[in-house]
Amino acid sequence: MNDRPRKITLDQWDDRHAELRAAGLNEPSYGGPLGRHAAQGDVRLRKLSFDNSPAALRLWNFLLSEEDRLRDCKARGKKLVGAMKDLGTVPVMVYSLPNLAAFYPDGAWWLPCMKENRTDLLKIADSLGIDDSFCPVRAMLGAFVNQKHFPLPGLLTCSVGATCDDFSAIAQRVESLGFPILWWEIPHRRRPDGDEPVVELPGGFTAPETQVAFVRAELERIRRALADYAGEPLTDELLSAGIERANQVRSILGKLRELAYCANPCPMPALEMLIAEMLAIHFCSDHNETVAVLAELRDEVVRRVRAGIGVLADDAVRVFWVNPVADLRVMNLLEDAGGRVCGTEYLFCHALDPIPADLPPMEALARMALADPMVGSPRDRTGRIVADIRRFGAEALVVSRIPGASHCAWEAAAIGEAVRAQLDIPMIDIEVPSLADAMRPTLRTRLEALLETARTRRR
Amino acid sequence: MICAGVDAGSRTAKVVLFDSDSLGVAAAGVVDQGIDQDAVADALFVRLIRENGIDPSQVGPVVGTGYGRKLIRFAQKTITEITCQAAGIRHSVPEARTIIDIGGQDSKYLRLNGNGSVADFAMNDRCAAGTGRFLELLAAQLGVRLDRLGEIAALSRNPAIISSMCAVFAETEIVGLLASGITTADIAAGVLASIATRVAAMSGRNLDGPIVLTGGVALVPGMEAALESILGQPVAVAPRPQITCALGAAILAWKSLNGSPTPTA
Amino acid sequence: MTAIAYASPFVPVEWIAAHGLRPLWLRPPAAGGGAEFAAARGVCPYAGAVVDAAETGIDASALVLTTICDQMRFASALIESSGRCPVFLLNVPSTWQTGEARSLYLAELCRLGRFFEKHGGKPPNGAELARVMLAYDRARSALLSAQSTLSARQFAETAAKYRGPLETASPPKPDAPPADGIPLAVLGGPLLEADYEFFDVLQRAGGRVVLDATEGGERTMPRGFDPRKIDADPLRALADAYFNAIPDAFRRPNAALYEWLGRELAARHVRGIVFRRYVWCDLWHAELQRLKRWTALPVLDLDAGADDVAAPNRMQGRFEAFLEMLA
Repeated sequence: MNDRPRKITLDQWDDRHAELRAAGLNEPSYGGPLGRHAAQGDVRLRKLSFDNSPAALRLWNFLLSEEDRLRDCKARGKKLVGAMKDLGTVPVMVYSLPNLAAFYPDGAWWLPCMKENRTDLLKIADSLGIDDSFCPVRAMLGAFVNQKHFPLPGLLTCSVGATCDDFSAIAQRVESLGFPILWWEIPHRRRPDGDEPVVELPGGFTAPETQVAFVRAELERIRRALADYAGEPLTDELLSAGIERANQVRSILGKLRELAYCANPCPMPALEMLIAEMLAIHFCSDHNETVAVLAELRDEVVRRVRAGIGVLADDAVRVFWVNPVADLRVMNLLEDAGGRVCGTEYLFCHALDPIPADLPPMEALARMALADPMVGSPRDRTGRIVADIRRFGAEALVVSRIPGASHCAWEAAAIGEAVRAQLDIPMIDIEVPSLADAMRPTLRTRLEALLETARTRRR
Repeated sequence: MICAGVDAGSRTAKVVLFDSDSLGVAAAGVVDQGIDQDAVADALFVRLIRENGIDPSQVGPVVGTGYGRKLIRFAQKTITEITCQAAGIRHSVPEARTIIDIGGQDSKYLRLNGNGSVADFAMNDRCAAGTGRFLELLAAQLGVRLDRLGEIAALSRNPAIISSMCAVFAETEIVGLLASGITTADIAAGVLASIATRVAAMSGRNLDGPIVLTGGVALVPGMEAALESILGQPVAVAPRPQITCALGAAILAWKSLNGSPTPTA
Repeated sequence: MTAIAYASPFVPVEWIAAHGLRPLWLRPPAAGGGAEFAAARGVCPYAGAVVDAAETGIDASALVLTTICDQMRFASALIESSGRCPVFLLNVPSTWQTGEARSLYLAELCRLGRFFEKHGGKPPNGAELARVMLAYDRARSALLSAQSTLSARQFAETAAKYRGPLETASPPKPDAPPADGIPLAVLGGPLLEADYEFFDVLQRAGGRVVLDATEGGERTMPRGFDPRKIDADPLRALADAYFNAIPDAFRRPNAALYEWLGRELAARHVRGIVFRRYVWCDLWHAELQRLKRWTALPVLDLDAGADDVAAPNRMQGRFEAFLEMLA
């Protein structure tokens, strides 16, 4: 059996899976050939290419078995919390209580892609007036209505305030259909005035102390609701332990990102890295398994880096990628065109930073929530992107716009301008719909042109 | 008595002469629109009277409708195409409860009350996506005659996804699909599905049946099938769909003659 | 007198005036080239027009925007980064149920007061603030009482004037709309100055606006201040009147908008609702189908883009069809 790292198709994975099983591969309960997910409706998998490591297989199987796991959780009497929009804060609190599990209804935004639109999610959203002028996360509305993709949680939370109007409007529509939501406010993070006490936030941002106190009070409301729902108090001790476990995930991801984005040749494809990063915000409803999955992936990357082997050519152009793509296939496309991802800002970089462990837990969580790149000014977000581009040594930048997402329309230009002004690297912004097949030649041309430009600058 | 309806649409002018004795269409015609919309409609109106041997003294009230209705100087009254379309469909398909009207430059959805009056409507007149113009552009790009688009689309096994909301970008997508080796049949099916999706989204998909498709695009074979597929309900094409709006205008002209209350604008 | 421009009904005009500053309710004239470009990319034309206006220069020392939508939040950042005009972004919580949210809004008003001081404002004492509040309250009450004698455009324009300095806001001469017009409500977000034309078009088509529930209209006028609260703590009374009582689509949850609407539609015997929204305004757009299901009244969707000034027939045709439907 050839264990050389490479990217393979779904069919190749199924053959390889059989070989690995024959060779004694030990899989978790959710393991199995990836092809079964395609047979069950995730047909987009047939058009993707994957890393060929058992660690990647486990990662994909973990992600794609989330619906089963949620149903299993509920059947076993675990209480479910749907944590919408906040990208990393409430799930940490939820997992601090042993009989609760959080999930991320927003994740439904990838279902139209994974099922290549063979789903009624968008039709349902249309029928409720949420048409394609909204972000693809409108699929979530359909998922609440058809109840085919996740069991209804007993508690739904959603952060509002300095969030996206798209999401806020869609969540309001969810509530108006009879799904009560516990709204909590995340205010626009502003610069402290001259005489105001200042608090340092993760990620290098600052905020006035009053704003941190406000968010802390909001999170206290969440804490009380979670305790009521769980039937047991959510103590500081439990929260501190929960933060420690979340930091374990963040620490593994930090190491993984450092290695995957800096080593040459590239040890792990962009697509698997995207999936791995997403685990930081929702833990795929099983925190312990998240740790195990990511640790195995990290170990594989460490092995490859030590062996000096990877999945892409040594001269692949180092690209920093901003915003997650609605069509996962586009991450493959960049690599097919001769690029590699060497840094990302998928809208939740605050969920990758360690949560301060030396503070009272609610204070630490409040600071983390306020460090969300989306709640501050575009200048803050751009500043962090520029710093990370420097840190990872990117040669080019791709800003991927999400169709209908209102922030993208404003931010793409602002990020582009800042990068041009502060860094001498080429950039493009592209719009990636849920299924970008029709745009593929255009996207490939643009990506190739970007990579050619970056290569020319090497000389 | 002959009552006339003149539909000054964006792409064509339509005239219907309605015989108030037989309560049927005495004559109808369609011509391409021109710069002087009044002259174009007037010429058609005069030709229909002459060719059908109608005594001009028997011609009664004329109602103008369509985007160019205010330009039709020989119309005594103007009524919007929404109201006229409802009246025309009420006459030809009395049981209809929903009308989808896809014209050259816009598309509309009308929900009717049990008595045929308009209960709700929505219009897309902002962008070409979801209109006949979009269909023409994309058919031309595929090198397919518009009247064969449905036939070709019927051969599709895996309709392509056209995701762009904008006709201009959709053209780019079709270039991409062609370059990727996607079959013309799959692209044609994707184009029809794209229009059907836009129209369905405009209506909120909350459609009571029976649903009737009218307007010029109803003449494109396969359009009703694409709508049925998206809406999950049967869709019938109105008889002579290009003239239902003008027919409604003529009927409303006749009703005004009878003293029936008609909306005025 | 130094002028302070503002573009949100959640900025109390009284607070500006009480600082001895001239309030300027910013109504960008029309969506310009920048706004058209922005709309093509998915930006609300109104927010784009606010940016355009700030870039080309507004007759004020500073501009106050609020966080009630992400479009204005981003607009604020863009204006600030250009350095053309000092801009203050007032945090208005979307949630309204908690004491913390109300306190945050109050604290934001205090912070805004300090911003005014930097621009020449003088902090008012309680009596001065109370006086200004009562003066505006009387003016608004008078306007609402006179509503039936005014055309929809007159009402909208006078309401806009009353968001400026009272000294220059002379009462309108009655110009009653046709009594036989079909009573309508107009619901939606903000309007550009050029958009006020639509009130005339609607009236010419046979409509009579009896409820202007756009962002500049009656919906966002704070109701009578509680005199006891004014005496005790005028700033808190001001904050309560604005933050607690203005129903809007951005609130979470926004059930209060529907409660208010239900009362007002019934009280005024409204027969149809014109739902006025900008394309790419997600907050209002998302309410359209909900409104249609909530109300038994016919609803006309009037989506407005950056290019609408060039296409008046589109609006006129829709109004006429709607009124034919209601006739």
